[in-house]
Amino acid sequence: MKILKFEKELCIGCHACEEACSELYFKSSDIKKARLKITEVVDDFNIFSGCNQCGECVNVCPEGALYQAKNGVIRMKKDLCVGCMMCVGYCDDFHYHDDYVEPFKCLSCGACARKCPTGALSMIDVEVSS
Amino acid sequence: MYKLNDRDEKYVNGITIADVIKEKKFTYKKLIVKVNGKFVDPINYDNYIIRDGDDVKIHHLLAGG
Amino acid sequence: MKLLAEYKYNPTEIVKGYNDRSLKIDISDLAISEKEIPQQMKEKFIGGKGFGLRYLWDAVTPETKWNSPENEIVISSGPVGGITQYPGSGKSLVVSLTPLNDTPMDSNVGGHFGPLLKFAGFDALEIIGKSAKELIVYIDGNENIVKIFESDIDKIDSHELSEELTDRFAADEIDKRNYSIVSTGSAARYSNVAMLNFTFYDVKRQKVRLKQAGRGGIGRVFNDKGLKALVVKYAGVKSDLNNPANIAKINRAGIRIHKEINRFDTAQNNMRKIGTANIIEVMNDYDLLPTHNFKFGAHEDVKYIESKVFIEKYITQDVPDGCWHGCSLSCAKAADDFEIMTGPYKGQKVIVDGPEYENAAALGSNIGIFCPRTILELNFYCDTYGIDTISFGTMVAFAMECYESGIYTKEDTNGLELNFGNIPHTLELIHQIASGEGFGKIVGMGVKYMKKYFIKNFNADPEFMFDIGMEQKGLEYSEYLSKESLAQQGGYGLTNKGPQHDEAWLIFMDMVNNQIPTFEDKAEALHYFPMFRTWFGLVGLCKLPWNDITPQSNATSKEPAKMPEHVQNYVDIYNGVTGKDVTIHDMIKESERVYNFQRIFNIRMGYGKRINDKTPYRSMGPVTEEEYLSRQDRYDKQLEELVGFDVSKSTQEKMKALREYRENQYELLTDAVYKRRGWSKNGVPTIEKLKDLEMDLPELIEVVKEHL
Repeated sequence: MKILKFEKELCIGCHACEEACSELYFKSSDIKKARLKITEVVDDFNIFSGCNQCGECVNVCPEGALYQAKNGVIRMKKDLCVGCMMCVGYCDDFHYHDDYVEPFKCLSCGACARKCPTGALSMIDVEVSS
Repeated sequence: MYKLNDRDEKYVNGITIADVIKEKKFTYKKLIVKVNGKFVDPINYDNYIIRDGDDVKIHHLLAGG
Repeated sequence: MKLLAEYKYNPTEIVKGYNDRSLKIDISDLAISEKEIPQQMKEKFIGGKGFGLRYLWDAVTPETKWNSPENEIVISSGPVGGITQYPGSGKSLVVSLTPLNDTPMDSNVGGHFGPLLKFAGFDALEIIGKSAKELIVYIDGNENIVKIFESDIDKIDSHELSEELTDRFAADEIDKRNYSIVSTGSAARYSNVAMLNFTFYDVKRQKVRLKQAGRGGIGRVFNDKGLKALVVKYAGVKSDLNNPANIAKINRAGIRIHKEINRFDTAQNNMRKIGTANIIEVMNDYDLLPTHNFKFGAHEDVKYIESKVFIEKYITQDVPDGCWHGCSLSCAKAADDFEIMTGPYKGQKVIVDGPEYENAAALGSNIGIFCPRTILELNFYCDTYGIDTISFGTMVAFAMECYESGIYTKEDTNGLELNFGNIPHTLELIHQIASGEGFGKIVGMGVKYMKKYFIKNFNADPEFMFDIGMEQKGLEYSEYLSKESLAQQGGYGLTNKGPQHDEAWLIFMDMVNNQIPTFEDKAEALHYFPMFRTWFGLVGLCKLPWNDITPQSNATSKEPAKMPEHVQNYVDIYNGVTGKDVTIHDMIKESERVYNFQRIFNIRMGYGKRINDKTPYRSMGPVTEEEYLSRQDRYDKQLEELVGFDVSKSTQEKMKALREYRENQYELLTDAVYKRRGWSKNGVPTIEKLKDLEMDLPELIEVVKEHL
């Protein structure tokens, strides 16, 4: 399965990755609606937050809304999600926005990596978590 | 004499916070310890020596079910 | 099932936590109606227990008894109830006149019923009247229809009854999570301490789970009215259904405390592993675990029932066990595939909801039982039969002490030997309570009834009965030893409904931390904490996330017992839902209004004054020599230092002196508390106080002026 890889030395903090994501999933240029986060840090490397599909959150969700898809990516059944935010509380790679009830996370689609101008973001192959 | 939770206690030379906790059988985990108004970090209980005349507070934060 | 009546209603949109509408069902004539909730009622009563008390007051007269048709059962969640982001946001409050005392009772319960009722369209449900037929009330919040059926179900106990109803009504497995059922069990036909079970569907286990509106015998009222079950359905729960004014505030607070629980729960109370039972061994260590009818505070056999035993051997781990959506404190633990050893369900492998701390103490140490299997079996049967575990423990403990004191014999009990720790006979007893047979029928009526019965039928000494019968205002004491904490004696005794610790839990603040040394300090604590804690019951929240998890900021707080960061969370979610701009002081005042209303309601029913705040001496000090001698050093020291008494005198003389001292202390505490609460010396809210609270309603003035 593929997950995002971040090379901090290459990140210039342009946020094009986040904008690609929020446009794709929420038709919005509001980067707070992206499923990955780049946090700019003064005098240090930027910090990346994105899901590595480890699957620990599946058991945390009390509704059974999180599941591992066939390709290994952890996805959410939105109609089962009640918006309790327990996943967000558990893992910093889960994100949310006040406009939406359901939180959201990276689905390893690669759209952000394709947009990244420096190659800081790329998709790599890893073993599926069991 | 030193004060423990505003009650007089007999002072023993070299007694530490950990010693007091053990002697009083304070087995509960959620303790807030202050000596003369200053918070004592749990990692220091073993080596924090109480002095004669100190005002020691070992407050339990227990809620009840 | 035969449909007897139905009522179609218009869907409403909830506005900032309220439908502004309640549902009333008169089961005497099957009349279903809806009522608007006026602004003044919302302002002064908020919701939950407040709405319950308001409706009950309006329905009854001072002559009404628990089994009069005009007694009501009211169920209400509250404006905050039903949010999903903050742990403990699904509580319901049940209000009725209690069979134990014919006075207003409020009982707090988890599970999904109250919030789903609200999403179905109603801020409260009132049931009045009586039915000769057994009824099932069904509220479908998606179809917007209320139906009353004549029950055709022969299952009588909650675990089977709830499961069957869920199966019958739900379309499929996925749909089951959309239902909640209120029911009771066989004990409700006979026992004054019978309670109500509220279900939630556990999607991980694919099983129906039970939470309890335990205190006060409202299950008995339910059964007496001819109710079999209440079923509510609502599909589509989401975090914004309350149409909150500011969801950002709620999201922020919820995520903050989810993170806190993830980070600190394991090192603190282990709620997610074992729930409130984490304090079994702690209470024992501090000599506070009620043992043998509150005689003692510890027992060497506690090691067999400490929380580690339950975690390792019985309680399923790593399952999200919240009783409403989004509860990360996850304390509704259970034992799975537990094989039942006795009674009608012998051989069944069941899910046992518990044990909570109260159950481990009530079904364990207080009755001398130190076997975890037995505690779980008693827990299961109490739940399914509909028996309040706290009342069970305290009333059986009383029966056991009376038996061991020779007040009655096994001839009187038809063979039951009610010694402390007699496991087989205690199990036999619970089956008798449920079937209304034998000596169980008497025990099942509770401590207050048993005292009278033993005096009348066995010539028991009335003073001894009063001293060791741990009930007040009809309600059995919950499972903490208040003997050495004057503040907790008040925390139990100076309450509205009786000695339940929901109002105040001050034992450690008082005894160990010594933070409230003067009467004024104690009175301040007995003002703030009951008012803060009862606020949860107005809005639909569980109090456990308030102080069963401690935030980092507490280490530097001036008043850590109040949990200031969490108080701020509650201010945020309350304002976030309702759009109000209240402070904690406003919230305390809201509570005070309902609290004083409840006090005056008691007075209206011929109860509720100073004389009714008196407590059994066992809650205050040693009744027997055995008890005095078990703590002799402590008691002798107190007598010397505080009373100036010569401790070389006899134990009997010392006990008398100690008793005089302690009873007097309680009177002085009562004076200080009444003063702080704005009540007369007789415990009656003054007109000045009511005016100050903007609660000078004509019906309240009418009652208090007779007693001031």
